[in-house]
Amino acid sequence: MRPYVVTDGRSHPTRNTFDLVTLVMAHGDRPLGGLSPEKRALMELCLGGALSVAEIAGHLMLPVSVTKVLLGDLVDSGHLSTRAPIPSAQLPEAQILQEVLDGLRARL
Amino acid sequence: MSHHIPEAVIWCLAIALTVVAVLLLRQRKITAGVRRRVAQLEESLRARDEETAHLVAVRLPAVADAVSQDVPLPGPLDERLTGTAFAQRLQSVMDLFAQAVEKAQARADQSAKAALKASMRALQGLAHEQQLAISEMQDRHDNPDVLRDLLEIDHANSQFGRRAQAIAVLCGSWPGRQRVASPLTDVVRGATSRIRDYRRVRVHGQDGIAVVSRAVEPVVLAVAELLDNAARHSQPNTTVEVSLQPVHNGACVVIDDAGVGMDGREVQQAVAMLSGRRPVDVSRLGDPPQFGFPVIGVLAARYGFSVSVDTRSPYGGVRAVLFLPSALLTQLDIDGPSTTPLTGHGRGRTAHGATRKHGTARPHDTRPHDPRPHGRAPERAHPAPDAPPAGPVAPAPAPGDGAAPGDGAASGGGAATGGGAVTGSTAGGLPKRRRRQPAAGHGRPVAPPPTELPRERTAEENARRMGAFARGTRSGRTGNHPLPHLPGDAATGQQPPHLGQQPPHLGQQPPHLGQQPPHPGQQPPHPGHTPAEDEGNPHA
Repeated sequence: MRPYVVTDGRSHPTRNTFDLVTLVMAHGDRPLGGLSPEKRALMELCLGGALSVAEIAGHLMLPVSVTKVLLGDLVDSGHLSTRAPIPSAQLPEAQILQEVLDGLRARL
Repeated sequence: MSHHIPEAVIWCLAIALTVVAVLLLRQRKITAGVRRRVAQLEESLRARDEETAHLVAVRLPAVADAVSQDVPLPGPLDERLTGTAFAQRLQSVMDLFAQAVEKAQARADQSAKAALKASMRALQGLAHEQQLAISEMQDRHDNPDVLRDLLEIDHANSQFGRRAQAIAVLCGSWPGRQRVASPLTDVVRGATSRIRDYRRVRVHGQDGIAVVSRAVEPVVLAVAELLDNAARHSQPNTTVEVSLQPVHNGACVVIDDAGVGMDGREVQQAVAMLSGRRPVDVSRLGDPPQFGFPVIGVLAARYGFSVSVDTRSPYGGVRAVLFLPSALLTQLDIDGPSTTPLTGHGRGRTAHGATRKHGTARPHDTRPHDPRPHGRAPERAHPAPDAPPAGPVAPAPAPGDGAAPGDGAASGGGAATGGGAVTGSTAGGLPKRRRRQPAAGHGRPVAPPPTELPRERTAEENARRMGAFARGTRSGRTGNHPLPHLPGDAATGQQPPHLGQQPPHLGQQPPHLGQQPPHPGQQPPHPGHTPAEDEGNPHA
């Protein structure tokens, strides 16, 4: 299926809030009746739990930008909601690691 | 006696006259017959002349024009010649001429088709190549503006590919790409993607009907041609309605447009072309050439489906019905390699992925996968009590073992907790995983163990380990007194809580080291390092 059919020719998502790691959660109470096959597949994917945009695109085998258009529609229709990505843990700085290493070397 | 002579002369004259008269009469009759015959022959000759002229002027051109068409040829002009040898000769001239024309036509058609086919195949290859490039670009670029342009190029490229493919099929080529069996909905949407006005097409239908692999591409192409006709011959503000209907012997794709419709003659022509029985002449497709119906006819005859366009649509235009017999239909295997099972239990069914993942995480665990995440808590509890008897080295794998799933659970909210979150497999045979259930109820029980495990390793234990490591390294480098160290290590390992006893124990080391006469030169480093190490232990 070519992407322009999937998005009906649109390329701009209705909202610009999606990131590769934005987590998307489905609302199971919404009917899937009038949705296109791709949107239905997307909903069924997300009903299993929160998924990131990148993962959804991977599972649907669609380009990420096309997936965002679909996600925008589904968020607008109330089928999905988004959650900000979990911030990645702060990694210690290389300088501190170096100092610890130096200290250990000095002691041993 | 003399008077008898004139009488005799008279009699003779009379007889002679009579004879002459009879002869004259007879001659006259003969002449009339000959004249009639001449006239007849002249007439007949004229008729043949005319017939020959008719042959040259009308009948032979008609044969040339009517080649590969089933129109009645004009007969002889004069009925009187029917059945004569002349008429038979004329007929054999006609037949010979017809054969010659047909042969020449076939040869020309063949070479035209061959040339067209070769060039269309090349174009098809290029279109396919370009489509791959476009797909790659669509994956690579995230900018909506770039995507918009790419979608337009993609759309144009699809139409381009369809045109090339249609002409190639008309010229005897195979439709091309081999596809997997697909749902009829996807087949129709695939066809929609190849026409210009794809946004005007509305597909209503039901799932569950699928087209067998070999028929997918031909049906896509045929439906695309029908949709293109429907969209092209209707107003741009109308929609083209497609409905998919299961019927007793198969399934139907019904395409309704609200366009201008076709008159009787057009319908007749369309029916003839759609039947696929008449060979297609690529040089007589009109100007501009109309490929649609001939292509559908060729595909329908080759693959065994049928198309009819002779009904009026309730919207006023044409209703085209493509009928797929049961032989071309199948039921989709949900667990097939090409489909991604999307239901909850679909995940559990692909067990090999789950067990493999499980196996790498915990090789000794041969139990079947337990989907409950908190089922891991007792499992993790086992290695911890087991570890201390194994000495200071043994606990090392335990945290490592626990940390891997723990991290995954904490950050991913379920990749590891699910364990079985495998949805089918990729084309390359790799399991597909899906993140499962991040909710609090499942994530929480897993989170504590990682925090417990680091707590077990206290500061002094860390220091002890470092010390053991340093001593081991040192003894390994000196290479001569590995054994004397072992009791010391074991002692430290067995007395983790007795910190107060460590300084005396460590204090014993210098004398112990001093007992080694063979290496006096190597002793100075030892005492120098050991105190530092001892100091380090309590503070570490």
